[in-house]
Amino acid sequence: MVLQSGSQAGTDHPWPLLSPKSNLIVLLFAVAVFFFLLDLVLGSVKIPFGSVIDIVLGRGSDNEAWEKIVSYIRVPKALTAVIAGAALSVSGLQMQTLFRNPLAGPSVLGISAGASLGVAMVMLASGAAANAFAIRQLGFGGSWLIVVASTLGAAFVLLIVLSIAVRIKDNIVLLIVGIMVGNITISLISIWQYFSEPEQIQDYLIWTFGSLGGVLGDQLYVLAAVVALGLLISFAASKSLNVMLLGENYARSLGMSTLYVRITVIAATSLLAGSVTGFCGPIGFIGIAVPHLTRSVLNTSDHRFLMPSSCLVGAILMLVCDIIAQMPGSQTTLPINAVTALIGSPVVIWVIMKNRNLKSSFA
Amino acid sequence: MKGKLLHTHDLAIGYHNRRLVREAKKHGRRYRGKVVAEKLFLDLVEGELVCLLGPNGSGKSTLMRTLAGVQKPLGGRVSLRGRRLENLSAKETARLLSLVLTDRVMTGNLSVYALVALGRYPYTGWMGNLSPDDEAIVRDAIGTTGTRKFAHHHISDLSDGERQKVMIARALAQDTPVILLDEPTAHLDLPNRIEVVRVLKKLAREQGKSIVMSTHELDLALQAADRIWLMSPIVGKDGEKNIEMISGMPEELVLDGRLEKAFKRNGVGFDRASGSFRIHQHPEGSIGLVGEGMLAYWTKRALERIGYRVVIDASSPFRIEVSDDRGTRCWRYYNGKSSKPVELRDIGGVIDVIKESKKGEAFA
Repeated sequence: MVLQSGSQAGTDHPWPLLSPKSNLIVLLFAVAVFFFLLDLVLGSVKIPFGSVIDIVLGRGSDNEAWEKIVSYIRVPKALTAVIAGAALSVSGLQMQTLFRNPLAGPSVLGISAGASLGVAMVMLASGAAANAFAIRQLGFGGSWLIVVASTLGAAFVLLIVLSIAVRIKDNIVLLIVGIMVGNITISLISIWQYFSEPEQIQDYLIWTFGSLGGVLGDQLYVLAAVVALGLLISFAASKSLNVMLLGENYARSLGMSTLYVRITVIAATSLLAGSVTGFCGPIGFIGIAVPHLTRSVLNTSDHRFLMPSSCLVGAILMLVCDIIAQMPGSQTTLPINAVTALIGSPVVIWVIMKNRNLKSSFA
Repeated sequence: MKGKLLHTHDLAIGYHNRRLVREAKKHGRRYRGKVVAEKLFLDLVEGELVCLLGPNGSGKSTLMRTLAGVQKPLGGRVSLRGRRLENLSAKETARLLSLVLTDRVMTGNLSVYALVALGRYPYTGWMGNLSPDDEAIVRDAIGTTGTRKFAHHHISDLSDGERQKVMIARALAQDTPVILLDEPTAHLDLPNRIEVVRVLKKLAREQGKSIVMSTHELDLALQAADRIWLMSPIVGKDGEKNIEMISGMPEELVLDGRLEKAFKRNGVGFDRASGSFRIHQHPEGSIGLVGEGMLAYWTKRALERIGYRVVIDASSPFRIEVSDDRGTRCWRYYNGKSSKPVELRDIGGVIDVIKESKKGEAFA
């Protein structure tokens, strides 16, 4: 049979399509819109669905408190959830392809830790002018300061990991190195905390719980702009990332500059994970889980489709987590960082168990 | 005269070692790095399948990498279509030369079709969208390599043999005049090995591709290759180990004894008559064989296997006569003492009787 598998065989098979079914992406978009609206409707204060829609569409509402809650709290928070979900997912997707490792992601390889270091340096730096409260007062300029600090911190750690990646070909070793670099970063923060004022530490600790609610006004524009830039770079790298699936040797033989791709991915991931971490705190899990979920939903490895779909799946998951974190009907809010892992981990376990074949969900 | 696609001039391959080079310079010595092989003058002609042979560690992979431009030569030059490799951009090289490596591509969710389509990378735009022409080339590559049946499968679901053909299809989709393959038949069973080599022969013959494949399999190389490049380790007069490159048509290399010489030097017996390695030694002495055809050939093989040198000699007292009378096979065994033979009906019986009589001799 093997000997006869020449040209005459299999002519009745239709040629496979390179692109997944587009209606899947439309469906994902619809689901994202649904959860976006749900996130606006649910909260500690009960607001009817109709009024929420009216307020969102700019028709206003008779209830001034509702209008304030929706436009100044819920809409920014939901938008932040969408932005953060998309950014973390896309950065995770790129890391998994670049490192050819299913466990890669911004939090595992120490990028979040790097961003935390950047934020800690700003927040914990001695001197009244630089404490967290002061930064909040700084408004626009301060938010830039946090973004720059966290992005630089993320880029710094990623550069260390990647400079080691040049010498080490083994993915597992590299992953361990990444985790170690992350640990070093975290211990640096601990030492810094040890010598800091209690108020500064408290601010920093609250930041580490993660929050989607703190990004308001100008800060939202800053976050959106930085993430948009990061996503643009990532989307442009889709073709190269597809080739990276073959491994670096094949990529090079196809005339691709692997150094260029590495730099592109470092830049994009630092911008995406760094800025989101800076504003929302170190949100774990999304970066690792969403790429796996997306791959298994779309059943493709083509980054031209995985990128936008990861954005959508990431946004959906983040919105769901935010809805749960609100504990609708109650006055309490859970830290988002805890919810993402609590909700997301079982989802990923379920997907992997369902597929049986672990490889198919791996990068 | 067919065009020379790939040409090397006084090529030296090996590894750069910056530290050692710097040290040598300090002491006023000239040092290029760790030379694996040098003075290589090789030509790859259009439509030719070349098999690169050599024992482990002889530098096959180093040569492959140097020809592909992945590794820098220590000296001399490699030219592709008359242009020096180092003057070509990565994109230009990718349009002239494609690779099939030993790296395993196991990415989940990557379908065969999508993988082969990645071969179009050097030709597509910034988003990598395939034009109808690109798609036609991809389909052609899949058809030629006989991978159409599993074009929609995931690469991780394929067998080793199927995967290797897919990787060849990918190289084919890259649409280059030169294809280099690093041990494409390793880890494959015999039918798959033959299938892969057949595909390569077809590409060379029908599409005029110039193909270099490294392999350990002399049998396959002798049968399939238009030319053999044999990297043979030698120990020079100064006691230094070096690699000698022997290049030529397989039949010529066998007839003029160069192949035999190369293998003998490495302690392996090579039989010029059959073009294969000699595994057997002859501790049991010689035995005569009378007979002809297939029956005699396989009887000879069996006797050699149990340690006899087989001579065609009807006068030997210690001999076997083989006859095939319309499907009735008969072996007559003369043990060298009595003139009456023992008649047997199968090779197994012959072997048993010979072993038995040897044992009897030992006791006597």
